[in-house]
Amino acid sequence: MEETATDLFIARAEAAAAQVHAVPDEAAAAREVEAIRAEKGADGGAHGVRALPGGVGVVRAAKGIAQTGTCIVVTDDEALRLETMLPEVSVILLNSADILPDLPSAAPFLRAEQTQGRASYVSFITGPSRTADIERVSAIGVHGPLELHIVLIGGRP
Amino acid sequence: MSYAREIEAALKDGFLRRTLDKFAVEYRAGRDRVFAEVDERALIQRIADVKDDAARHMEELYERFRAEAEKRGAVVLRAKDAAEAREIIAAIAKENDVHKIVKSKSMTAEEIGLNAHLEAAGIEVNETDLGEWIVQLRHERPSHMVMPAIHLSRGQVADEFEKATGRAQDHEDVHKLVKTARAELRPKFHAADMGISGANFLIAETGSLAIVTNEGNGRLVNTLPRVHVALAGLDKLIPTLDDALTALQVLPRNATGQRLTSYVTFIDGATACAKSPTGRKILHIVLLDNGRADLARDPLFSQIYRCVRCGACANVCPVFRLVGGHRMGHVYVGAIGLVLTYLYHDRAAANKLCQNCVGCGACKDVCSGGIDLPRLIQEIRARFAKEDGEPVVSRLARYAMRKRTTFHRLLKFMRFVQKPFAGKDGFVRHLPMALFGKQGFKSLPALAKKSFRELWPTLLRPVEKPRFRIALFAGCALDFSLPHQLVAAMKVFAHFGVEVEFPMEQTCCGLPLVTLGEKETALEVARQNIAAFAGEYDAIVTLCASCASHLKHWYKDTLGAEAEAFSAKVMDFSSFVHDKLGLTKKDFTRLDWKVAYHASCHLCRALGVKEAPRALIAAAAHYTPTPEEESCCGFGGSWSFKFPEISKELMHKKLDNACSGDATHLALDCPGCTIQLRGGADREKRPIQVVHVAEVLAASLEAGAK
Repeated sequence: MEETATDLFIARAEAAAAQVHAVPDEAAAAREVEAIRAEKGADGGAHGVRALPGGVGVVRAAKGIAQTGTCIVVTDDEALRLETMLPEVSVILLNSADILPDLPSAAPFLRAEQTQGRASYVSFITGPSRTADIERVSAIGVHGPLELHIVLIGGRP
Repeated sequence: MSYAREIEAALKDGFLRRTLDKFAVEYRAGRDRVFAEVDERALIQRIADVKDDAARHMEELYERFRAEAEKRGAVVLRAKDAAEAREIIAAIAKENDVHKIVKSKSMTAEEIGLNAHLEAAGIEVNETDLGEWIVQLRHERPSHMVMPAIHLSRGQVADEFEKATGRAQDHEDVHKLVKTARAELRPKFHAADMGISGANFLIAETGSLAIVTNEGNGRLVNTLPRVHVALAGLDKLIPTLDDALTALQVLPRNATGQRLTSYVTFIDGATACAKSPTGRKILHIVLLDNGRADLARDPLFSQIYRCVRCGACANVCPVFRLVGGHRMGHVYVGAIGLVLTYLYHDRAAANKLCQNCVGCGACKDVCSGGIDLPRLIQEIRARFAKEDGEPVVSRLARYAMRKRTTFHRLLKFMRFVQKPFAGKDGFVRHLPMALFGKQGFKSLPALAKKSFRELWPTLLRPVEKPRFRIALFAGCALDFSLPHQLVAAMKVFAHFGVEVEFPMEQTCCGLPLVTLGEKETALEVARQNIAAFAGEYDAIVTLCASCASHLKHWYKDTLGAEAEAFSAKVMDFSSFVHDKLGLTKKDFTRLDWKVAYHASCHLCRALGVKEAPRALIAAAAHYTPTPEEESCCGFGGSWSFKFPEISKELMHKKLDNACSGDATHLALDCPGCTIQLRGGADREKRPIQVVHVAEVLAASLEAGAK
C-alpha cells in the first residue's frame, strides 16, 4: 500500500516524540481535546514543576509537513503564542487536508503570511521541547511543553 | 597553561574521552540515518550556491532586508565591529530602561563578548539555553557550538545547580536536573525587560528572522520581554524563504541528527506585545560586520559564509574527539572555529590551533555548505609560516627539494647514516627508545637498502601487446622506504598486461612543501613532475593516496591549464586496477588472509574512492569489515611529530578497531598510513600485518602460480 502524506506525517511526528490522536471530524476533535484536558488536569501538576499559566494549551495549526512531522502554527496574537510556549501540555489541532509534503513546499504559505502588510510570527513545531545538553542524554520537556499532542482531523477512519 | 600541557590534560580526562568517543560514533550513525531520506549532496551544493551568491550581494541583501524589516516595525542597525555592536546593544538597553535580560543562544554574542559588557553596565544577564546557562554558571566558554556543555558530567552540572539554587540536586538523574533548569529559569523569563537572541537566517525578501531551537527558551526570550534584540552576522543574510527552507533540510540533520528541530520560529517585524508601552514589541535587529563585508570579497575565504553553524565539523573531527572543544576552538569550535579564530579573534590562538589539524578532510566531507575547511586551514598555516619567519626545516626543505638530484642524494646520505641502526625488518632498531621521546609510540621506518628507482632496471619486463601503457609515480615514501609495495604492484601490472614506465626525473609531489608553507618550491617541483610525465600514457598511477590527491587536485587548482592533462591522468592504484583493468574474483586465487581495511583520508575523502579497494580485497582474500574504517590513522605527515600524543591515540584507536575482529592483515592505499600503522602494530605487538592493497593482490597471484 502506498504511504500517504498523512501516514508519513504520523510516523515522523511520533518519531519526534509527539503523540498523534487521529479523529474523523471536528466534533470528535473537540471531544479528544476535552479528554486530554481532563486527563492532564488544569494545572498539569502530574508533570513535575507547575507550569505558568496553566496545564494545557490548545492551538490550531494552519499547515502540517509530512516529511518532518511538523505543525505550522500562525501565532501573531501574543496570547495564542504563549499557549504554545508556557503550558506543560501542548495540543495542536491539524486538518489532514492541510499536510504539505516537505519543508520547501511550505514556502508559498510562509510568503503569503509575511507579505500581508503586517508583522507576523509563524512557528514550525516538531515534537515537544527537548534538550541533550547534559551528557547528551535526550530529555523531553525543557522550557517549552513537556508533551505535544497532535489531534489530526480527518486523516484516518 | 601551555597548549601542549592543555592537550596532555585533556587526553587524561577519562570522562571527556568516553563522552566524545561515544558521541563520535553515535553522531555518524544518526546523521547517516536522516540523510538517507534526502539528496545530501544536492542540498549541500544548493546551500553553497545560495550562500556564495549571498556573499557576493551582501550589501544589496542588507538594504533589502533593512527596508522590509523596518516596513514591519523593526529597527535594523549595523555594527562595524564587536565594540560597536556591544555599544549599540547597551544603548538599546539603557534607552528602554532595561535591568534584566534573558538570552537565548547566540554564537555572535559570544563573538563580541556581549555578556561581560552588559554586566559591567549593571544589567543582569541570564543565559537560558541549558548548556549555555551551565557554562555561564561555571564562567566558562562553550566547548561546542550546539552542545556548549558537552565537556561536563551530570555530577559537575548538579554541583553547579546546587550553588545556583542553594538546594540539594540529584547527581544521577539528568531529567531532574533539566527540571531544575526549567523551574529556576521560568521566573527569569517573566521578569526580564529584554530578550537577546541570535538568528539562523535573515531573509531579505520579507525582512524576517528564522530562529532554530529545541528547548523552547528561544521562543520565550523573543516573546515575553517587551524588548527583543536579535544579533546576527551579515553572513546570515539570504535572499528568499525558499533558501531558508532548503538550508533547514540540512542544518538540523547535520547538527543533531534531527529531521527538524522542535522549533523553527519565523519572526517578521514587531508583533503584538502586551508588556510593551506601545502594544508592539520593541524589536531591534543588529547586524554585525566585524570584517565580514571585506571577507565576502576574498576569493578564497569568502566560502566561510556558507557556514550555518551546525557544528558538524567538530562532530567528525578526530582531534576534537580526543581533546574537546576548548582545545579545538576559541570562541567558535571545530574546523570552522579554527578559521574564524584566525579571521575574527586571536591570531596567536589561531596559530596554535591551526597547527592541530591533521588534515583528514572529515569536516569538509560533512560541511553543510561544502566549505573546503582543510584547504583554508592549510592556507592559514602557510601565512603564519611566512609571517613568523620560516623555521629551519622549511628552509632546508626548500634547499633540498628544489633540485631532485640534491634531494635524492640527501636521502641516500641518510640511508648511509642510518645503516648501523636499520633492522632487517625495515624499522630503525638498535637505538635506545629514550632517544625518540614522545615519538617512540611507533617504530620508525628505515630507508630501504635499495630504493625503487635503483631496483627499477631489474624490474623491467617487456609486455607483449599491452592492454594499457602507464607511467608509475612512486612518491618519496614508497620509493625510498617501502619499495617492496611498488614491487608488488609491478607483479600485478605484469600479470595483467600493463606496460609500465618509470620516468626517472620524477620527484616529490610537493605536498610536504605546501604543508610547510613553501608554495613557490611546491610549484617548482610540480612543474618538474609535469615535464617528467609528458609522455603518452593511458594513466599515471600511484600507490600513494596523498600524492594522488595532491597531483590531481592541488596541481590543477594551482596551475590550471598547465596541469590539466597531467592531473586528469592521475589515478590511485586501486581505482586503476579495479575500474580500468576491471579485475574481479575470477582473476584471483583467494588467499586465506582475513583482511581488514583502512580507508586513507586522501583516498576515501580527497579522491572519493571507496568501493575499489574493498572490492579488490574481497576478490583476492577475505574482506573483514571493521568499525570506523574511514577514520584517520593519525599520521598527517609532519603533524604527527608536532602532536605525538594525539597521533598516538588516533593510531591506537585505529589498531583497536582493526584488531576487533579476526583479521590477520590490515590493508591500505597510502605509505603515510603504512608508516603510522605498521610502526604502531610493531611497537604495540599487534597480531596484524599492515600491507598495501597491491601486496594483497600480488600475494594472491603468487598463490595462484604455485
